[in-house]
Amino acid sequence: MSMRSKRRAIDWSLNALTYLALLAMLAPVLWLVASSLQSDGDLARGTYDLLHPTFKAFGEMWESVDFAKYLKNSVIICTVAAALATAFASCGGYALARTRFRGRAPFSLAVIGTQLIPGALFLLPVFIGFIWLKQHTFIHLFDSRTGMILVYTAFFTPVSIYFMRSFFLAIPRDLEEAAMVDGCTRFGAFLKVVLPNAAPGLLATFVYAFLFAWDELLFVQALTESNAETIPVGIRNFIGNYSQEYAQLMAAGVVSTVPVVVAFFATQRWLVKGLTAGAVKG
Amino acid sequence: MSSTRTSPVSPPAGGPQDPVAPAATPPRARRGRLGRAWRRDRFAWALIAPAVVVMVLIHLIPTAGGVLLSFRDVNTFTFARLFGAPWAGLENYRAILFDADNPIHSGVFNAAGNTLVYTVATVAGTLVGGMALALLLNRDFPGQKVVRTLMLTPWVVPSFVVAVLWQFMWQSDVGIVNKILVDYTGLLDERPVWLLGGNSMWAIVIPSIWRGIPLAMLIFLAALQSVPKELHEAAALDGAGAIRRFRSITLPLLRPLIAVQLLFGTIYAAYQFTIPWVMLGSNPGNDADLMMTLIVRQSFSNNLFGIGAAASSLLTIVMLVWVAAWWLAFRRDMEADR
Repeated sequence: MSMRSKRRAIDWSLNALTYLALLAMLAPVLWLVASSLQSDGDLARGTYDLLHPTFKAFGEMWESVDFAKYLKNSVIICTVAAALATAFASCGGYALARTRFRGRAPFSLAVIGTQLIPGALFLLPVFIGFIWLKQHTFIHLFDSRTGMILVYTAFFTPVSIYFMRSFFLAIPRDLEEAAMVDGCTRFGAFLKVVLPNAAPGLLATFVYAFLFAWDELLFVQALTESNAETIPVGIRNFIGNYSQEYAQLMAAGVVSTVPVVVAFFATQRWLVKGLTAGAVKG
Repeated sequence: MSSTRTSPVSPPAGGPQDPVAPAATPPRARRGRLGRAWRRDRFAWALIAPAVVVMVLIHLIPTAGGVLLSFRDVNTFTFARLFGAPWAGLENYRAILFDADNPIHSGVFNAAGNTLVYTVATVAGTLVGGMALALLLNRDFPGQKVVRTLMLTPWVVPSFVVAVLWQFMWQSDVGIVNKILVDYTGLLDERPVWLLGGNSMWAIVIPSIWRGIPLAMLIFLAALQSVPKELHEAAALDGAGAIRRFRSITLPLLRPLIAVQLLFGTIYAAYQFTIPWVMLGSNPGNDADLMMTLIVRQSFSNNLFGIGAAASSLLTIVMLVWVAAWWLAFRRDMEADR
């Protein structure tokens, strides 16, 4: 075999290996979709027929549990919390990217430090605090969307700060300086010149926070009872009460995955930039 | 998570009228310029204020409260008193660490062992898998862009969906895993039980690795693409084989990224809750009970909030030790990285 044809054979088999790896990584997701298109009985007996899909499970899942309520709560809580976290983080990230101030090092450290505390440690006092507020004041945070929004905003602000910081660092300084020469205040320059230029970063940060809020279970299962429960709690209730209705469960899985998959692939160009910011510069 | 630098190098502050960095200023001189410093800093302080407020409200105060709670005796009978539960001194810690007759003691040690196994297996599997895929995808091949994007899909699937999906796939009788292993290929004669007993650890580790790989791959791939091709070509001309080039060129360049992912991957895995809790229930059993599932169960099912807080505090201490050890081991990479 000549050198060149040997090279070609290696190339070809590496390509094949790549596609196989992709198939292996996607297989569980494909199985999720395929199973959601079967009937509960077929799945429980293991007698599924992939060639004859049915959408029955997608209709029934809304009646078995109040999935519409969970979906609505998830959408409201995650959207508002991600928007607030992005707003707070763009301010904080801008401060870190562009200014020196007293308290900068402690702030920077605290932002990282929040990632180090196990949720369980501060969940208990938040839980007891919410109960106390409900019993002693008019502030209803326990089992309310407002409470969950507050918690999630705090959760995802720190990571978002680092996300936004790396986007701001990539914007040339001259922009704001020119605006300030033109008579803008520093905040005005930030608001009118920097933020519009950081729009892809804002979007990526929002989607990132939304993705993580969508997936949060620990706090929402403890801090809600019947009003503000989100999809992860709903899925858990589903397993508890209808453990044999696999098709419906898989359909519920598909319905809860579609929004984040759409959001992710619509913005992945910028999201990937944020996720790999450290990698490229490092 | 996205950044490798904890204290970033920032260009000199704001406008041209800014004085030298505060760290370099002697305290007396700083006091003399207090008015000016306030004028200079208030912009930044206003910017970080909202973030600081929510972090103080939800992170700082409750964390302090959690530590205090660990010294109190909060159970079913005292819970109604909320913050007024009686002090327990070090009793909660003693029960967890030294009281051999207390089931909590053996429960925590068992969960700690499981968490260690889960964390090491998940982080190792994720990093090795992510690296392998990154190397595979760092070539020119037809459909490169689409493949790279689609490869990220598992990371976007929410953990709770990952848990229900794999719980279904792991079913002993009808699950696809056993169908493949036993019915379709005949690799095994007997159908293994995945969701109970010794295998249940694998039942949570494997989906966790599957979901973690895409992010690791993405980060490694971005770094691999910034390695100049000439470096490899020159080494190849000098007669270095593929393995030699990986070890002498690629690996050293990826070291800071491996370090960062090791740090955050370990923290993320050690605090894993969703996957075991959704897949195996609020009591995942002796073989797969992790620290977080144990803490939540003891706190919310058994109302032992004081014990839960003490176990959480101990977990935090262990993670702080891990971060310190990590810093000692990788400090040079992080500094060189700047």
